[in-house]
Amino acid sequence: MPSMIVNGLNTNYQLLPAAAQAEHSEPQHVVFIHGLGTDSLASFYLTLAPPVAAAGINVISYDLRGHGKTDRPDRGYRLQDFVDDLVDLLTQLGIKEPVHLVGNSFGGTIAYAVAWQHPELVRSIVCIESEPPTAAWAEKMKNILAATMEFLQIEDSYDWIEANFSAHHRRLARLAGQRITSTSMAEEVPLGPIMTIEQVSEITCPVLSLLGSHGYQADDLDALTSLLPRGEKYVFDGQGHSVLVEQHREVRELLISWISRHATESV
Amino acid sequence: MTNNQVSDEATFSRVASLLDEMIGGADLLGVEITPQTRFHEDLQLESIDLVTFAGILTESFGSHVNLAQYLAEKDLDDVIDMTVGDIAAYVHAQEVALAGSEGS
Repeated sequence: MPSMIVNGLNTNYQLLPAAAQAEHSEPQHVVFIHGLGTDSLASFYLTLAPPVAAAGINVISYDLRGHGKTDRPDRGYRLQDFVDDLVDLLTQLGIKEPVHLVGNSFGGTIAYAVAWQHPELVRSIVCIESEPPTAAWAEKMKNILAATMEFLQIEDSYDWIEANFSAHHRRLARLAGQRITSTSMAEEVPLGPIMTIEQVSEITCPVLSLLGSHGYQADDLDALTSLLPRGEKYVFDGQGHSVLVEQHREVRELLISWISRHATESV
Repeated sequence: MTNNQVSDEATFSRVASLLDEMIGGADLLGVEITPQTRFHEDLQLESIDLVTFAGILTESFGSHVNLAQYLAEKDLDDVIDMTVGDIAAYVHAQEVALAGSEGS
């Protein structure tokens, strides 16, 4: 798997070139951004990446810092670090055109922050169970990460995970525990930078928010899209936070259709 | 034993050998790679290792072997429970399809 130094870290990435393209048009680029903890580029690469490339779209996926096969420094996990990584990755890959950012959970938060700080780089956002980095998001992340830290430091927790899910989930939790407890991730991620509500409402690119009706935004499924000037949402009924993994076929169709609709979006 | 079975076994042997090389020797883990060996559970590998292995298979067999594309059609539970035999069977089917298309 290819890797290169991005923002000072050896970063694992995968490119899947568009299999075919429409006449007289250059293929669009989509960047898949995975979530925190147990996640890696595999969650996109083994679900959406091949069919999206087959639909004529160039696919870029990469392991975030501290995840998969990318370097895991002890410190350096502010949201800003993840934003700078993505911007440097695009620069080093020589991507000149604005891209579609597709983020899962925390990956979508990175996408919002990039669109805020570098609007010229982003043609559209598709976020899966994600929120922009507002003060409310930071508080929620702080609590989730602190609870996760506490839970994963109790040995009995792993027995509970295996009994209620599977031995595979036990292993994933163990790995996530190592990532979170051996680094400053839990402490630094919620530091942001934080966007104000006004700044969120100034994100002008089109945004598609994919939500589980029982996911992390279940308390108000309209809260985010009502802020965004060009926000649309799609809710998976009866679905929790794991929209990407459990609904990947439908997500794939929505994504391919979305990119086709927004291929000529100017920024 | 038919020729097809022989080549099926040969494909498994090649897939197992590539996997053994990727993980730096299954014997170090105290595991023997058989068709029933589970990628995640028995070899203690992560999904990201499956992505790496997909690349190794394409490099070794050719672009007609696209494990990632095959897995994209599957549910998570099927991917988690995937055995080395399942992967070899997929590779073998692609080899047979390629040979058929070249022979026609």
